[in-house]
Amino acid sequence: MCSGRVDLEFMLRAFSKGQDGVFIGACKLDECNYVTHGNYDALANTYLTKKILAHIGLNPERLRINFMTGADGNLLAEYTDDFTKEIKKLGPLGRSEGLDVNKVKFKLEAARKLVPYMRLLERQRLRVPVKSKEAYAQFFESKEINTLFDEIFSEKLAISQIILLLGEKPLSTSDISEILNLNPSEVSRHMKSSSRQGLVKYDETQKCYALA
Amino acid sequence: MGNDILPKEIIQQFSDSPVSINMGDKNFGDVMVVGGGVSGIQASLDLATAGFKVYLVEKGPSIGGHMAQLDKTFPTNDCSM
Amino acid sequence: MEGKKGDFNVSLKTKPRYIIEDKCTGCTTCVQYCPVHYPDPFNQDISDNKAVHVYFSQAIPLVAYIDDSCLRLKDKKCDICSGVCKTGAIDFRQTTKKTDINVGAIILSSGITPFDPSAKEEYGYKTMQNVVTSMDYERLLSSTGPFEGEVLRTIDKKHPKKIAWIQCVGSRRVTEGDNSYCSGVCCTYTQKQVILTKHHYEDVQCTIFHNDIRSFGKDFERYFQRAEQLPGVEFIRSYASIEKEIPETRNVIVRYATADDGVKREEFDMVVLSIGLNPPAAYKEISEKFGIELNSHGFSKSDSSNPIKTNRPGIFVSGAFLGPTDVPESVFTASGASAQTGELLDYRRDKLAKERVYPIERDVSAEEPKIGVFVCHCGANISSVVNVPSTVDYARTLPNVVYATEQIFSCATNSAREITDLAIEKGFNRVVIAACSPRTLEPLFRDTLREAGLNQYYLDMANIREHCSWVHAKQKDEATQKAHDIVRMSVARAGELEPLLEFDLPVNKAALVVGGGIGGMTCALSIAKQGHEVHLVEKAKDLGGMARRLHTTLEKLDVQTYLDELIHKVYQNPLIHISHEATIKEVSGYLGNFTTTIETEGRIKTIKHGVSVLAIGAEEYKPSEYLYGESDKVFTHLELGEEIARGNKAIINAESLVMIQCVGCRNEDRNYCSRVCCGHAVKNALKLKEKNPDMRIYIIFRDMRTYGFREDAYREASEKGVQFIRYTPEDKPLVEKAKEGGKDVIRVIVPDLILGQRLELTADVLSLAAAVIPSTSTNEIASHFKVTLSPDEFFKEAHVKLKPVEFATDGVFLCGTAHYPKHIPETINQAYGAAGRVLTLLSKDTVVASGSVARVNDYDCVACGACISACTYDAIEFRDTPKGKKAFVNPILCKGDGLCNTKCPTNAIMLKHFTNAALLKQIDAAVTSKDILEQMDAVLEEA
Repeated sequence: MCSGRVDLEFMLRAFSKGQDGVFIGACKLDECNYVTHGNYDALANTYLTKKILAHIGLNPERLRINFMTGADGNLLAEYTDDFTKEIKKLGPLGRSEGLDVNKVKFKLEAARKLVPYMRLLERQRLRVPVKSKEAYAQFFESKEINTLFDEIFSEKLAISQIILLLGEKPLSTSDISEILNLNPSEVSRHMKSSSRQGLVKYDETQKCYALA
Repeated sequence: MGNDILPKEIIQQFSDSPVSINMGDKNFGDVMVVGGGVSGIQASLDLATAGFKVYLVEKGPSIGGHMAQLDKTFPTNDCSM
Repeated sequence: MEGKKGDFNVSLKTKPRYIIEDKCTGCTTCVQYCPVHYPDPFNQDISDNKAVHVYFSQAIPLVAYIDDSCLRLKDKKCDICSGVCKTGAIDFRQTTKKTDINVGAIILSSGITPFDPSAKEEYGYKTMQNVVTSMDYERLLSSTGPFEGEVLRTIDKKHPKKIAWIQCVGSRRVTEGDNSYCSGVCCTYTQKQVILTKHHYEDVQCTIFHNDIRSFGKDFERYFQRAEQLPGVEFIRSYASIEKEIPETRNVIVRYATADDGVKREEFDMVVLSIGLNPPAAYKEISEKFGIELNSHGFSKSDSSNPIKTNRPGIFVSGAFLGPTDVPESVFTASGASAQTGELLDYRRDKLAKERVYPIERDVSAEEPKIGVFVCHCGANISSVVNVPSTVDYARTLPNVVYATEQIFSCATNSAREITDLAIEKGFNRVVIAACSPRTLEPLFRDTLREAGLNQYYLDMANIREHCSWVHAKQKDEATQKAHDIVRMSVARAGELEPLLEFDLPVNKAALVVGGGIGGMTCALSIAKQGHEVHLVEKAKDLGGMARRLHTTLEKLDVQTYLDELIHKVYQNPLIHISHEATIKEVSGYLGNFTTTIETEGRIKTIKHGVSVLAIGAEEYKPSEYLYGESDKVFTHLELGEEIARGNKAIINAESLVMIQCVGCRNEDRNYCSRVCCGHAVKNALKLKEKNPDMRIYIIFRDMRTYGFREDAYREASEKGVQFIRYTPEDKPLVEKAKEGGKDVIRVIVPDLILGQRLELTADVLSLAAAVIPSTSTNEIASHFKVTLSPDEFFKEAHVKLKPVEFATDGVFLCGTAHYPKHIPETINQAYGAAGRVLTLLSKDTVVASGSVARVNDYDCVACGACISACTYDAIEFRDTPKGKKAFVNPILCKGDGLCNTKCPTNAIMLKHFTNAALLKQIDAAVTSKDILEQMDAVLEEA
């Protein structure tokens, strides 16, 4: 198993279970012992997850990737110490960011449901052509990518959250907009597109939406 | 790091190779390897894997030779154990 | 020892251990109670051990032995160890045991003895406390060393702040008691020690007194630069001597001289003597007993056309007994000796060796997970920090755990047996070993599970050593808590493990060798002599490669005669099929079953083979500097050698000849040393001096890198009047055309570093040490065989030290200068080495493929191709199925990296053994119930 096997889902799952920080140790970039250089995939997944964290309102520094060789035990210790300090400084997940822990977990869970979609997105829009640390940083930190990501992701996250909510019980548009703190017109737009896609249906008698 | 005596690959092969270390009841073998340092171990493993019965003879109480005493190896600083 | 090849009788004496090996568990209780303290030879006598002890903590076999300092052995006084040993392993009645063994061949791998500087007073070793050898220093650096990895002065346990290394101790000196040759490893091991020292202690001043820096090995040049560029590290090119010890501080005064400041004296807290390598201590005895000849230095006397063989047929030599060598050479000469033994004894292969038979695997797939947990003390490595009994108790409370216990060393033979027995007795079907990193011992424990009739993939290792006890030595309670967490996570994963099949792949018993130079031909011949078909593919019209242009070597090999004989043997061998003027068009398949398409002499040919050897050689750099190509008086060393062999009068009768070293390498474009050029320069100089003793010869060099026995030739050249002038890359020699006394000459202007002036040399001939550069076809061949290149664009071996002739790609091997520049005898050794490794595969009918590979669930696969583009091994392809086009994984090509798994939008492809189910369970288990309670409390508080 390569560090490239570290899935978006693994990272999000750990946070949604309440971990305050997640650390990924990978082989040194450009020093792959095979021909895969899968640590670049780990790096890309880390960038993506950081964006998701930021989107939810969590400090992206809660996720870290460091690169080292099998002989760098002392580096691992150093990085881990440093990261532990950082996480202690940041404090408990969500609360330190002034967020409701349960809401954070709910959002993370909704984000986790989006992993298959994120994989498609990564393949189509977020793949970096050049394998270098600088190229990855430049790409993932660029304005265009941030805007693109925010647009697409906020849309998808909203729908994912709505679906999760409706999984518990049927709700009206205003209920949803209140729980999720979203603009009612935005919610109704999502509801329309979701019912078109056959994800949800409108129950005329109860005047609310339910899962299709 | 580095507290595992032999190069990992070597242990791995050791565990499932028909190498008789030093002693054995049946005293017929194909090859005798004199010296249980990294070279003697490698020769024994290759021969055993290639279908020969090997007697590995070491004068000290353990195999590993001088390499086992080294902290790390150049130029990668990999563990020598 | 007596007899002849195929039938040697050896009589062995085994010294008594006074320990019954089968009974000893390596628990070291006896060591605790033994009253005798005795300097520990493994730790270079720096720290003490006991009369009864285990040689070192990972010794094999991991059992104690009793040495001569034992009171009981001396005068029958003490019997404490027998009393405390719970297994009754102590046995003082043991005597020297004699065993007679009959073998067909013998390999002498007697290694080296580190040079002992105490023999010479001037080194101050043993008389001054803070003068240590590099071997002592290795132990000081080691975490298993006398001070657990802390570099301390033995006398006052203080950290040295200023450390000096003195190079070439015992080497490159013709004085009595020293060795005239260069040991070849000291420059680079010193750089390693400096790098590690600076890593441990940033503030330490490191000073290295050296002669030439001999970074002639692969990646050594970069390594040297790395050491040199560290802050607080100074390399001083000067002879240095130890003057005295300061009585109050026990610091050591080192005397040295520099060109700028003249003689200087400097005080150091510690001085490390970079000692060289001597032949094995018992070399005379070895030579007499085995009837083999030695060279004047006490190493095996080698025939440079095949250094591994000895004068006595059936007896071979490997490793440093061939001459001072580094680990990779020790490894590939071992494989080479194995190949040559195979040539000799091919007729008796598989007659005596027995395959292991395992019990039939129990089908437990219908059972609930029942997990057995074994928590290892690792001697005291784990248990001195982590509370092992508490971890065992905790493990018992975990879901699915039916049994848990502790073991002193889970990896010991008796512990493995305990696991096997208990698995059967308690009926558990999954095993968690809480011990060390799976990197080393997972194969061993998998084997243990097989012995217990369980599928070997029902194992998970919880790493409570590297990830816990070693890094949290000072926080015992927290470390114990963490060990609990790690075990809990491991148990969670273990419950989700599935049995996997490893299957046998048939091996096509033919080999493909690419490249018909010395390396390729030697390798092909050795494989063929062991009964396998070999397809030898050469791009040129004729066999021979670069060696066609070489005529002599420093070892006085007549290269052309040797080459002709070799080519003859290759043509004569009925199992070798040669393709000339061949280019590789396509390679497909994998270990055991490759198909290669080549174009040879205009025809297309398809070759099926089980393994591939890449021996494509290297090329000579065509200089663009120093008037090369602009004057007919300028040659490369290779051309010069050819001209000398041809008897070119203009060269042999020249009055003056200048050589410039390091042309086209050791620079920004090629940051490596071409290794062979210093030897070539000396060889050509000696040859010219032999033909024309009056010729003035100047060798302008940066560092003379005549490592090993080549040092003797360097000295000889110097004695014969060849002048060596050093230059630096910042101030290169200037070369211009000139006229002198009416004839055309080359004028070479070079700074004299010692006198600080400029020297003007007039040369009739200028010869350039042109770099050895990778073959132009390297990239193409690499992409065909899916192998990787090093930063310098030579082939990259799987592991620098331990796998020097194989690629990370299974079934593909390498040898010769395609790996890195090397001399002919080195190429020959490496070629035999590759043949030895090839035979470990070809001698078998099948190879085993891992069970941890990706698998596609057809039902979920949407044929989007994301997995296919993620796979660098081309292991996934679309196949038509009744359900339509679906991705299919070739389990033989799959390396189990799992990249496809993270790319699949429908989770249809999954890496076995590292499934989402198992890993998510493990991630979930990272959260403790305590964590959850705390979180709930916090939420309540807020509310």
